[in-house]
Amino acid sequence: MAITVKSPAASSAGSGRRSGGAAKRRYHGVPAGMTWVLPGFVMAVGVIYFCIGYTGYVSLLPWNWRPPKEEVVEGLGNFARAFSTPLFWECLKHTLIFFIAVYLVQTVMGIVFAAIMHSRVYCSVIFKILIFVPVVVAPAIMSPVHRRVFAVDGPLNWILAHLGFLHADPTGKNPAWNGWFQWVLDHIGLSSVSPNWIQPSTALWVVIGIQIWSSIGMAFILFFAAMGQIDPEVLEAARIDGAGNIRVLVSVIIPQLKPTIVSLAVLNAITALKLFDYPYLVTTGGPANASQFLGTYIYSEMFEKGGRFGYAASMSMLLLVLAIGVSIIMTVMSRERKPEEVKV
Amino acid sequence: MFELRGRRKRLLLTGISVLLVIPFIVPLYTMVYTSFQGRGIDNYKAALQLPGFWTYFRNSLLIAVATIAICYFLTMAASFGFSKLRIRSKEVYFWLMMGALTMPEVVLLTPMLMMAQKTGIGGTLWSVIIPLAAMQIPFTTLLTRSYVDGIPDSLFEAARIDGAGTWRQFWSILVPLAKPMGMAIIVLVLINSWNAYLLPLVLLPGEGQQVVSQLPMNFKARYTDDQPKVLAGATLAALPEIIAYVCLQKQFERGMAAGAIK
Repeated sequence: MAITVKSPAASSAGSGRRSGGAAKRRYHGVPAGMTWVLPGFVMAVGVIYFCIGYTGYVSLLPWNWRPPKEEVVEGLGNFARAFSTPLFWECLKHTLIFFIAVYLVQTVMGIVFAAIMHSRVYCSVIFKILIFVPVVVAPAIMSPVHRRVFAVDGPLNWILAHLGFLHADPTGKNPAWNGWFQWVLDHIGLSSVSPNWIQPSTALWVVIGIQIWSSIGMAFILFFAAMGQIDPEVLEAARIDGAGNIRVLVSVIIPQLKPTIVSLAVLNAITALKLFDYPYLVTTGGPANASQFLGTYIYSEMFEKGGRFGYAASMSMLLLVLAIGVSIIMTVMSRERKPEEVKV
Repeated sequence: MFELRGRRKRLLLTGISVLLVIPFIVPLYTMVYTSFQGRGIDNYKAALQLPGFWTYFRNSLLIAVATIAICYFLTMAASFGFSKLRIRSKEVYFWLMMGALTMPEVVLLTPMLMMAQKTGIGGTLWSVIIPLAAMQIPFTTLLTRSYVDGIPDSLFEAARIDGAGTWRQFWSILVPLAKPMGMAIIVLVLINSWNAYLLPLVLLPGEGQQVVSQLPMNFKARYTDDQPKVLAGATLAALPEIIAYVCLQKQFERGMAAGAIK
């Protein structure tokens, strides 16, 4: 099916060329189609390009410009301002860490879950539902729950206490690591990590953990579909040659998942750049900007610091350029790799 | 994928799966467990009795239905045009549309605020429906076009020879044949518009216009630190989506998978 797993670059570009050629051959008799395309075109291109243009214009206005005020074009000062603000680079750094961490865990766990669910485990439907529900439920609805999970007296610390990592005090308000675990943390350079999760040294990792929770299901579904298309005879042949389960997974299955692994990278990069809901609602970008991302930073400049729309618009434009740049680079990269993948 | 011989191995792998799935259960369990703490079911009664509780759901539903209708029809029509009809330099139009594929929502905020004020749609649900639909049409069109390209041209030719007009071809050939894609679009747009948070937060600040995704935070503002009530609200807000997913698993998984690949 076209809507399951298929490389976007290949399908869209290839089909475009195909139908273009076909149309030229039989131009007579084919009815004109502009009126069919126009409504969607106006809706998408009209609104989106207008917004890009308008935001681009606002980014040239004074940094503290607000909607009703007089408009005087000032120039590129806002961009210089963004580049010279450490927090802007800090946000990019968080975005990069977030992308790498989420992408790695999501890919590995997605493949593991997909492989398990393709084997004959009991109750696989229930597992599948539990893994996929976090993908479906709105981040904004789940965020108070996550705040609760990571609270000092929340379930996470409860579990850690029962596993022996935590020395929980009776009130539950001031948990501390047990001696041995503190020793381990000290010796692997993580002594600043404390069971008070929403604090500068761990807040970013809380956001990352939540995103992993809510996106493994997506990777799982994609890998599950991709594995379903692997020819069973290939697996059979590998088994006859004496390959064990792990060997089959690493040497036969994973190479065939490459297109999915690449498109997950694009998806994750875009998600990381656009990220807003979780950091805004769970940690409000803090404490001390420790989990600030571009989305939350831009939002706070607009609505929480008295309306710095000009400055916010310049960062929005930079974000747009980054998002388009990343998706073009990744699409081109995946297209270049195409020929070897087919051979596998 | 793993070959499992015998019951013992199957049970072992099931056990491993149970362990791996625990992190997924913890938040869901926390949500339900905490929401019953203190006054039990009364937390839910308090949430349900909140004035305007149902308007959150009504607004979300209206936004979702309108966005789905707009996206569905415009996408189907555009894909039909791009794939099967004659348009001069159609690839230019198509790639112009694809240029709008990866739009961060923050870019839309200031312009939409201004537009909403100037045109008088400010504060109405349309101020969210329009940007939501506009953001998704390029992507749904990309998906549907490549799907429609796979429908043989000869079907449309045959219909033309039999005297069917363009309109007839659209309704009697394209729409039925593109049904699986149509379902995927509906699910994708439904989830994206139901879960949207930033756009309603900025464009629908007024009381009585808010949507489901804002419900838990508004509960939090109202009950300050009464966790059980806040999480009772969150449970109620999450329930429709979970039920819809469990009932329509195939469609949801396919729709979301289609949406994952850009």
